[in-house]
Amino acid sequence: MTPREQTIERPTSVWPWITMGVAGTVTFIASMAVGPDAVQGQLSRIMYVHVPAAWLAYLAFFVTMAASAMYLWRKDLAWDRRAASSAEIGVVFTGLAIGLGMIWAKPTWGVWWTWDARLTLTAIMFFVYLGYLALRRTTTDLNARAKRSAILGVLAVVQVPLVHFSVVWWRTLHQPPTLLKPEPIDMDTSMLVTLGIAVVSFTVMYVAMMFKRIELARLEDEITEMQQTADVPIAGEAVTAPALERGA
Amino acid sequence: MIENPPVARLDGVSVRAGNVQILRDIDLTIDPGDALGVFGANGAGKTTILRVLATLQPTATGSVEVLGADATADERFTVRPRIGYIGHVPALYPELTLAENLGFFARSRGLDESVAASALADVGLAGAADRRADRCSHGMQRRAEFARILVSSPVFLLLDEPHSALDADAVDLVDAIVHRTVDQGGAAVLVSHDRARVRSLATRTVEIEGGILR
Amino acid sequence: MIGFGSQAALIARRDILRERRSGEVLWVTLPFGAIALLLVPLAVGTDAPMLRQIGPGIFWVVVMLFGVFISIRQTSSETDAQRDQLALSGLDPAAVYFGRALASFLFLLGFQLVLGFVTVVLYDISLEGWLILPLTFVIVAAGLSLLGTLAAGIVATGQNAAALVPLLVAPLSIPLLIGATQALEALQLGRSSLTWVLMMIVTVIVLAIAGVLSAQPLQETR
Repeated sequence: MTPREQTIERPTSVWPWITMGVAGTVTFIASMAVGPDAVQGQLSRIMYVHVPAAWLAYLAFFVTMAASAMYLWRKDLAWDRRAASSAEIGVVFTGLAIGLGMIWAKPTWGVWWTWDARLTLTAIMFFVYLGYLALRRTTTDLNARAKRSAILGVLAVVQVPLVHFSVVWWRTLHQPPTLLKPEPIDMDTSMLVTLGIAVVSFTVMYVAMMFKRIELARLEDEITEMQQTADVPIAGEAVTAPALERGA
Repeated sequence: MIENPPVARLDGVSVRAGNVQILRDIDLTIDPGDALGVFGANGAGKTTILRVLATLQPTATGSVEVLGADATADERFTVRPRIGYIGHVPALYPELTLAENLGFFARSRGLDESVAASALADVGLAGAADRRADRCSHGMQRRAEFARILVSSPVFLLLDEPHSALDADAVDLVDAIVHRTVDQGGAAVLVSHDRARVRSLATRTVEIEGGILR
Repeated sequence: MIGFGSQAALIARRDILRERRSGEVLWVTLPFGAIALLLVPLAVGTDAPMLRQIGPGIFWVVVMLFGVFISIRQTSSETDAQRDQLALSGLDPAAVYFGRALASFLFLLGFQLVLGFVTVVLYDISLEGWLILPLTFVIVAAGLSLLGTLAAGIVATGQNAAALVPLLVAPLSIPLLIGATQALEALQLGRSSLTWVLMMIVTVIVLAIAGVLSAQPLQETR
């Protein structure tokens, strides 16, 4: 066990907030500065948030898998906090990517949803990690929680590629009608550059969010630990002699 | 002369659950031949100390050694079959008959089911062997639990409220089991409210109060 | 000490005996699955060609969703006292895992057979290519029982298992669902279903390995 401070230091780091703000602003300005797509018009601007969000979702889940494996190896709660923080961010961005994708899909393809392999897989990942977060809520014992969720995190590592493979292969056999098939946007250089800026900004944003979330997770764990030591109530003291006896 | 190694030794053990501390800084040595009575109010941590000694309870601090094995290391798996633990709630499978329950237990130790049948007879349940556990009274279920001890002859007995729900005959049976184990160089820990009963049986007693031993 | 196989068999025998007495799978889960098959045509319409087309898919969805209840039934009813005694018994946790999965496997196989019959009757399914079915039944039952037992072990605490385990199992059972439906469809379209079968077998092997590796750490956490 690592030596523990008895007083909790308040999180004072400001740079993650500033970084998130700057990255968000850069993405916004870049996606507004670039010209609209010749075919899709203003709608194409959604892409500059949708694509980086989807990328972040995959990045975040990959970090969860790696951190879960690291926890099982090193048994250090810091890895558990990294895995959990990343899963939370991943679920948010998966939801964002799916939601924006739908808003984009409706005017473009005429439907909210299409059974594209990547889309299906993203939805499945969303539920796998929703389950991961639900599992974390079932116990307050830090080590038990870490162990159980790490095992699920690693099980997802081995199972998700199989899910991926089966879904992709299933799609290749059942091509959707050409009308609904996603039509690739013919991107010119300025759009590609903008997309590049957005992806980089989002990645920076992820790093800042992770830092802040891990900071918060460490505080939560410290509070739990502190409640469990020193001046906490002793279990046996919750039960005292019945009043009858005292009155006698 | 070489001293016998202790059956169990706790050194600075504390246990937490959620945000309460159940045990703190417990030091305890149990030697062969010991029959230790543990007293304390409801919720004082008596059951937890038994689970620590059974190598079942994760501890926050301190070291636990049971039958020569470090209870936090993989060695605990090798000593566990030599521990006889009877909790205050019967662990029988309700859908199975007493004979099937005991048979499952015997076979898990690599013993024949006939051992289970004779153990049931020894605790006076031969007539109820084919009755489902959930159709037996609490006292009968407790007796069946003690039949488990007769099947596996553990060297370290951990009994939670051993005399509760038992009639006079069964109480004598429990006492006999404890005496036999202790006389053969094993040890027993009895957690109880029934001070008089346990004092007559125990070689020494301790009290848990405020999470520490007195 | 008894061998690994005998330990697993001992656990499986215990689970089968308990199920025979309680009849939970036979009298609760099985009728529930059959009702699901009955509800679908009531909701989507009774157009015979359409039912014939969607029948096999509906069957597998029902097996996946309701089959989960079969693999969690014992873990979710296990008391702390029973868990303690099992941990002290000296039985290998991996053997306990396989024993539980084995009992669930047999129940799931029976579940599939009965519901398969119900599907054929209600949806008027053509049995073309049926020779692949015994194989897919066995593989799906194995995969689902291993996955369900593993997920139940991860969740562990009784009151949470009933709700949480299906959420964990459903997305991870997709390779089995797609494999089972596509293997039959491939045959009916005159293609080879070998790759689908192999994919399901790989899934089963992966789950078996994951279950063995996690058995001991999971037994120790409460």
